[in-house]
This record gives sequence, C-alpha cells and structure tokens, in this order.
Amino acid sequence: MILVQEEDFDVDVLYKRLLHANKTGAVAMFVGLVRQFSDLPNDECSFELEHYPGMTERNLQAIVDEANQRWALIDVCVVHRVGRLSVDDQIVFVGVSASHRAEAFQACDFIMDYLKSRAAFWKKETQGAKSHWVEANEKDQHSLARWSK
Amino acid sequence: MTSIKVVFFASLKDGVGMSDCIIDADLPISIAELKAVLADHLDNGQILLKDGVQSSVDFEFTRDSDLVTAGVREVAFFHL
Repeated sequence: MILVQEEDFDVDVLYKRLLHANKTGAVAMFVGLVRQFSDLPNDECSFELEHYPGMTERNLQAIVDEANQRWALIDVCVVHRVGRLSVDDQIVFVGVSASHRAEAFQACDFIMDYLKSRAAFWKKETQGAKSHWVEANEKDQHSLARWSK
Repeated sequence: MTSIKVVFFASLKDGVGMSDCIIDADLPISIAELKAVLADHLDNGQILLKDGVQSSVDFEFTRDSDLVTAGVREVAFFHL
C-alpha cells in the first residue's frame, strides 16, 4: 500500500495491515517526524512538504518494486504526508513484513534511503519571516550509495 | 510549433515565479534545448541552466539529451 496524503496516520492501524496470518515472522517499521529545526518558538516555525502528484506515487511504487525484487517480502506499506506540518508531527511511515527479520530490516532501510533521494518530495522550512527549501545532503547520498555495492 | 505544458517545483518554482507555463516549441526538442528556450522566455529562467536541475517527461525521469516529442503531456523541472 502506498499513500500520499495530508492527513496524519495511525501507526497501530498500519502495523496491523502488515500482519498476515501464518506467514509473517517479522515486521520492521520506520516513522519519520518533523524535528525541531529552529531556536524560535514552535508557533513561529512551519514545515511544508510539496510533492509531484502522479510522479511521486510512481516513484514510490518503483522503489517498493525494487525492494520486492531484492528481498522476499510479504507486504510493504508506505504512507507519506504532504502539506503544512509542525514540529513533532509524523511525516512518513515505512513498514515491511517478511518471514525473517533481516529481510524486513534491510528492505525498510532501503526504501527509506531511496524515498529520501528519489521520490519527488520537497521540504520547505519557515522560521519567522524566513523560509528556504531543504536541499539534498551528502549524508543521504552516502546512505543511498550503500545499496549499489 | 506545438504547445508544451511545463511545471516547476520547490526552489525552481519560487525562482521562476510560477508553478507552470505553456511554451511553444518545434518538436522534437531536447530537454537541454527546452531549458534554453525557457531561459530566454522566463524572468530568471537562467536558473534552469544551472547544474543539478532535473527533469521528467510525463512522470519519467529524463536527461538533457532526451527528446520531448509529439504527444507529450507535461515536462517538469525540479531539484532532487
């Protein structure tokens, strides 16, 4: 399941969707949150996520397809929020179920790395009257490079 | 001449001051040539010529040498 939405998500509900009777042996999940990015009070800061409707979903599906090719997975769930968010809000959920933990951990890590670099989401941070688009960082690129070895 | 819908995202959208535009061009045209046409037509369009500007045609990633051909619905420019 791949969803791009403005609404918040319920981790417990998504976790239960990943459980498949008599098959699932491991579930790995990642939840990304809006961290504090300014010294200003939270009500003077905002965080906006823009996406490219149509392309973002297509890219996410391609990432999930690639994960399914690399590992034997039972189910994958990706939910990504867009729009205006606040500090401590949930941004993204990636959940993977598999028979064994190694596949689940690795696929979850892989999907998150590719999602951050290839999924056509853009973050804009606003602090008081100033705002800027967050650029891809070197750490993300290094993390992504791990999977091409 | 054919009308092509072009969309911009994030910093490029702010840079050119619009989220989308319609541009007339002779097809086929390469992404690099389309960038040059847009750079001439748009205020601050020169930012499209900088390194790191990525593109897509009908939701598929493209390179500067790829062609925009008849039947294309939308070309997008953005940073990733």
